[in-house]
Amino acid sequence: MSNKILSVRNLHVVFTLRNRRLHALRGVHLDVEDGETLAIVGESGSGKSVLNKNFIGLLDQNGEVTEGEIRYYGMGDKLRHYAGAGVDENGNYIDLASFRKNEDWLRIRGSEICMIPQDPMTSLNPLKSIGWQISEALLLHRGMKGKMAYEETIRILEDVRIDNPKKRYKQYPHELSGGMRQRVVIAIAIACNPRILICDEPTTALDVTIQAQVLHLLRELKEKYHLTIIFITHDLGVVANVADRVAVMYAGDIIEIGLVDEIFYDPRHPYTWALLSSLPQLGHRGEELYAIQGTPANLFLEVKGDAFAPRNPQALVIDSLQEPPYFEITPTHRAKTWLLDERAPKIAPPDALQKVRQLGQITEGSADHGES
Amino acid sequence: MENREVILSVRGLHVRFGHGKSRFEAVKNVSFDVYRGETFGIVGESGSGKTTIGRAVIRVYPASAGSIRFHGEEITGRLKKEKRRELTHQIQMIFQDPMASLNERAKIDYIVSEGLLDRGIPREEIRQRVDRAMRDVGLLPEFASRFPHEFSGGQRQRIGIARALVMNPEFIIADEPISALDVSIRAQVLNLMSRLQKEHGLTYLFISHDLSVMRFICDRIAVIHKGVIVEMAETEELFAHPLHPYTRALLSAIPQPNPEAEKHKTLEIYDPSQHHYEINIPGWNEVADGHWLLANQEELEAARAML
Repeated sequence: MSNKILSVRNLHVVFTLRNRRLHALRGVHLDVEDGETLAIVGESGSGKSVLNKNFIGLLDQNGEVTEGEIRYYGMGDKLRHYAGAGVDENGNYIDLASFRKNEDWLRIRGSEICMIPQDPMTSLNPLKSIGWQISEALLLHRGMKGKMAYEETIRILEDVRIDNPKKRYKQYPHELSGGMRQRVVIAIAIACNPRILICDEPTTALDVTIQAQVLHLLRELKEKYHLTIIFITHDLGVVANVADRVAVMYAGDIIEIGLVDEIFYDPRHPYTWALLSSLPQLGHRGEELYAIQGTPANLFLEVKGDAFAPRNPQALVIDSLQEPPYFEITPTHRAKTWLLDERAPKIAPPDALQKVRQLGQITEGSADHGES
Repeated sequence: MENREVILSVRGLHVRFGHGKSRFEAVKNVSFDVYRGETFGIVGESGSGKTTIGRAVIRVYPASAGSIRFHGEEITGRLKKEKRRELTHQIQMIFQDPMASLNERAKIDYIVSEGLLDRGIPREEIRQRVDRAMRDVGLLPEFASRFPHEFSGGQRQRIGIARALVMNPEFIIADEPISALDVSIRAQVLNLMSRLQKEHGLTYLFISHDLSVMRFICDRIAVIHKGVIVEMAETEELFAHPLHPYTRALLSAIPQPNPEAEKHKTLEIYDPSQHHYEINIPGWNEVADGHWLLANQEELEAARAML
């Protein structure tokens, strides 16, 4: 179990915008296990992308880490011969949050932690053939050249299930469909041979049928290359498909984290309830769908108490006074809500959540029916 | 079922782009009826022609062949100015991306009222109608003097809806109205759309690629693949008995927010070469009450056996 590869401790990130300070991450704690798929869900502006940009040193210029550590344990023996910034005195980990220079990042970005961006249309170079773009990663990160690089590129193209790789090698991004381009982007990431792969909404720009195929591919690659995947998305259907564990973010903090079954079948935080209940899959046609009222917390202002309280119709008095700590429900499942305090009134989760378990069954049942 | 009033009737619609060698047929021989007060959905992948159908109905793209009748009157081809003006009042559109579809340089009251200007409507009445439309979509009339950039995505989409509503339309084409919105905002906009439908007696043509949203909002759904409608049925019927292999592939690909079901799901992949349409030409057949399927004789028999 506790074979951590990445550990975020009390991370605070502040952006300065027109002399105002935006507190984007407010003390995030997160452990990522080696070899797992962790999904991070939340609305836009909840800080899920900001959190992940910290892992590859791509935080915007006006952002800075004011407090906290990001311990990366994946370097192993390589750390002994490495005298750069942020190495722990015992040589166990390297603190990514202490990096200041771009040179520090060169050892991490790509070869250790790699990211697949959201839109494959804009993340490939339109002027270079896809083979060239994959070989470039091989040259920079693994020192491969010439025939060796060519053969490795062909092998990787086969791994990402692109048919006729020798022909594709010479093609340009505009000749490929959206799904194919996303496969090429994944191929570039794989070519760096990273330990951690961050996927930032890799399937939002794709059609459902292609999305399902790309998700399947990611699972295959994860096995083959022993990857740890951090999956950022707002689509809970995708989360249910890929994740081992789920972290729910709201207003720059993880408010609930647990195994995928725990989050979907036994959510505890009112925000997680709200997020699940507002899915159209859980609604009945002709009836109102549950909608979260209000707007996300304004992070320019200091958040007092539970950040979700102003939007929660059942908020307790203490929610607006004091920030709740993490309450542990099981060793793997914890949530930041006062509802879990023993003194709190018993508030039941919304009825709609009962339906979650039946969701797939309906389609499955009908598909069976179709075949019989 | 039979005695419902048909508000929009599309027959044998073709939309072609380009000429000669580069000619592309985006929509091929599409026929469907939309009844008053219902939400009719068109679902398909990107490039399937679903948006093109919507734009042909609102006369942005000319129909190359076939007819589109609104209240029984032909609305393709050349029309008199009065008729065109009447149609802008009757048919309106809601766009996908609220960030791109509002004029950044105009204030909200101008954006919402633009359709009413230059039509001989007194200024006072325009102001009242804008106020009412803003209230209907849950925005304060004070917002009228602001610019679009001051609003969030959900609010902007409400402005887009208000702009359509101010014309008092009967028929609204909603082209992916919630795809660009955040999860938590989607529910609000969906609720708003169904509330407005009840209050104003609207009919929607809902275009989307997201079947789980369509299941929630649509009464009937047409599945379109490469410009051809392959299956059309009432929503629950379509989900319970998907007959066309492409519909089945689409349904099997929807990610369900249920980890247990996702673990055991089997993906169906649609391979168009499974049809033998060269020898056996497919037709548009009603297999069950209101359930239409594109199939040839052989497939039709197989489909009937499945039901």
